[in-house]
Amino acid sequence: MASATYRLQGDIMAASFLQLWEGGLVRRCSRQRGEGRNETPAYRDEDGRIRIMLTSWKLFRLHVLLFIFCRHVNTETPDPTPPPLVPISPLPIDARSVVLKGESHTEVVELLSPVNLTLECTWTGNQNKGPNITGFWRKDGHEIGNSHVTVELEAEQYNLRRVFHIISEENLGNYSCIFGREAKIDFVLSGPQIGEVRDKPIVSYVGDSVVFICKMDKTKPKPTAWDWYKANGTDREQIVAAEEPHRYEIKNKEGKTQLRMHNLTEADSGLYFCGAVYPISTTVGQMELQVITLYEPLKPFIAIMAEVTILVVAILLCEKCHPRKKETAGDGINDQTNMQTQTENNGSETSSMRQRKV
Amino acid sequence: MSPAPADGSAFRPLDGGWGWMVVFGAHVSVGFAYSIPKVLSIFFRDIQAELGSSFSQVALISSIMLAAMYGCGPISSVLVSRFGSRPVVITGGLMCGISMVISSFGNAIIYLYLCIGIIGGCGLSFNLNASLTIISKYFLAKRPLANGLVMAGSPVFLSFLAPLSQYLLINFGWRGSLLILGGVILNCCVAGALMRPVFMPREPPGTLLQTALEEHPNDSKPRPKIGCIKTLMTLLDFSLFKDRGFIIYLIGSMLFILGAYAPIVFLSNYAISQGIEEYAAAYLLTIMGFVDMLVRPSTGLVANTKLIRPRIQYFFSFAIAFNGTCHLLCPLTKGYISIVAYTVLFGTSFGMTFSLIFECLMDLMGSQRFPAAVGLVTLIECIPMLVGPPVAGLLVDVSGDYKYLFLMCGSVILMGGVFLFLMNIYNYHMLKKAEAAKDMEQNQNTVESQDLMEVKRTTEVEMEQTEPGAKKIETQGDQCPENYSCKCDSSVSCADKG
Repeated sequence: MASATYRLQGDIMAASFLQLWEGGLVRRCSRQRGEGRNETPAYRDEDGRIRIMLTSWKLFRLHVLLFIFCRHVNTETPDPTPPPLVPISPLPIDARSVVLKGESHTEVVELLSPVNLTLECTWTGNQNKGPNITGFWRKDGHEIGNSHVTVELEAEQYNLRRVFHIISEENLGNYSCIFGREAKIDFVLSGPQIGEVRDKPIVSYVGDSVVFICKMDKTKPKPTAWDWYKANGTDREQIVAAEEPHRYEIKNKEGKTQLRMHNLTEADSGLYFCGAVYPISTTVGQMELQVITLYEPLKPFIAIMAEVTILVVAILLCEKCHPRKKETAGDGINDQTNMQTQTENNGSETSSMRQRKV
Repeated sequence: MSPAPADGSAFRPLDGGWGWMVVFGAHVSVGFAYSIPKVLSIFFRDIQAELGSSFSQVALISSIMLAAMYGCGPISSVLVSRFGSRPVVITGGLMCGISMVISSFGNAIIYLYLCIGIIGGCGLSFNLNASLTIISKYFLAKRPLANGLVMAGSPVFLSFLAPLSQYLLINFGWRGSLLILGGVILNCCVAGALMRPVFMPREPPGTLLQTALEEHPNDSKPRPKIGCIKTLMTLLDFSLFKDRGFIIYLIGSMLFILGAYAPIVFLSNYAISQGIEEYAAAYLLTIMGFVDMLVRPSTGLVANTKLIRPRIQYFFSFAIAFNGTCHLLCPLTKGYISIVAYTVLFGTSFGMTFSLIFECLMDLMGSQRFPAAVGLVTLIECIPMLVGPPVAGLLVDVSGDYKYLFLMCGSVILMGGVFLFLMNIYNYHMLKKAEAAKDMEQNQNTVESQDLMEVKRTTEVEMEQTEPGAKKIETQGDQCPENYSCKCDSSVSCADKG
């Protein structure tokens, strides 16, 4: 009966909170909720607040645990960032499942907005299919605590499933489900990636202007906004076009953004980032700008000009110094005078004589 | 007694010596002329991004350059006839180089159209025309080989300039690259300096004018006061259109050019549509360029042999037909190996055709009329060259299948090859008949004059005796010059066929 009261529409958080308590893991105290001592069963009251219903035994246990942990927590320095709010509106639900036949597999999952994501891993096993295997989950290489589960062999397959609450950018990353030590399936959770970002640096000249373009693929959803940043040491500094309108110009279309920079100086060289803002995260594309002076290409150009001039002068001088016979073939001179009268008469007929006779 | 060709024995080309330096110069010059319009496409994306224009607007730069290069043919032939090859090539190199340098400072697409497109294209046209003309002046017996070596400049320079442009683009951006490329093009001036003028014994600049006047005896204007336009018209020598051989050549080569370039443009796209990876598909063009590079001089060598040289027009039509057949067989290819085989055959046939394309025109026209002829040919070829790839692209868009593109190009080219082959048979047949009739007429004349004047007869007989003797010249290399058939006796000698 207790579990039935917990299974309220959408308030999975409260149920899992209690589940964690059953497991002995308390992450945070419900300072935010404020109703710590007056916990009531999970339902919405007239004021719209969530209340949790408990049996009296569980209530007592709750109070004891709260007292033990929250007392400790209350004396700590307050957290600079407030703990994440329990989402009031229900999150959408999504699921991804992968069947693994080999040893490993990677699946890319693109997410736009906060979601409750169920990841399901199915493994067909290898030669020694034991009846049980230990499965657990990892996020970004670190084991997710308390995720070790013994998986039973069902219909020749091992099945591992878990629900993840993807709310913000820190929930994105590389989730892996691992069977024993043998099989691994990676789920790479990320926002939509920016298409065609130029990996080679863009070269421009002092005093010139340059354009950066970031485009989201047409097939992918459009971001809600675009941001531009310039790298400043290890930080990123946002470029606000309004501050320096004569230097920066940002044009945004739906799936495309353009940053135009005028009057470049050498200090403008460096890394620039365009951010596509989505509810879940901001995808960032990187590009490098190099500003060079005009002298850089001018040097090879002048070298080539010098080479050309030297060669031309050398060739012409060589010709003057070694006067060759004029390039008339030697023997033909006598024939010329004889033929000269003929050639003019036959000028119009020469075309017919040109062909090689077969 | 046969009429002698205007320059055949009056002026015997060097066929070696400094001629090989001229071949090198022409190789460089022609190489730049054909590869620069193609290499520019590497910069298009960056230019498009910075100048904010659409892709088709930027691609128009290449088209304008090609159009100017082919369209300025007649102007360059006039200049070459007037001033010789060396000043024209040096001017062409300067024009193209300086226009690239100026365009690197441009801020609107119209400057690029003007500088690179028109001025650059004209400069390249001067290079092309003048280089080919000087080869016809320096070589006769070894001319096919020389032509093959010169035309090999196109794939050689493309394979050298393309990676260079990529490197320059990465390090200097498109502006710096255009600046440096302009400098590199100035090397055409070095090539031009190598082209020592050939001093013909006669030929005042107005000889063509004289010829034209003799053809139009009713022209009442006195020679020095001939109007500018009239001069231009006669120098352009539209009388070429009366020449049967020229018309046949023109039609054949137009049909070839119509279908020749589209398969190159769409080759990698076709390969990708057949399921081949992008890198492998791009590699196909490299293979083709490499094969082309090897085949062009080899074809020149083959065309120079005793067997082929007299039949060079047929060899040319065979090369065109081979090219057409390759394209017709392309839709049968399945898998990477067969597409590579197709590419190799395509490269071979393409190289063969281009190696012979100007050699055959020289063979038809002779070095005297060649500059005017090549100017006209390139002007007229401008149209199929610009029309071919877009029409093919339209075909692909409409039908959704590359098969029809290859079938269309293949059939057009094959038609051109077959046309050339048949028409050349007809042409030679007609020429033989005409010459036989003329010989009979001339024999009759000599018999009549023998009856009339004893003294003159003896001198003429003497002349007749000396002339055949003079015409029994040694073969140069392994080949007889024009109008001489090879008599393969104990010593190979050339006997006059007239």
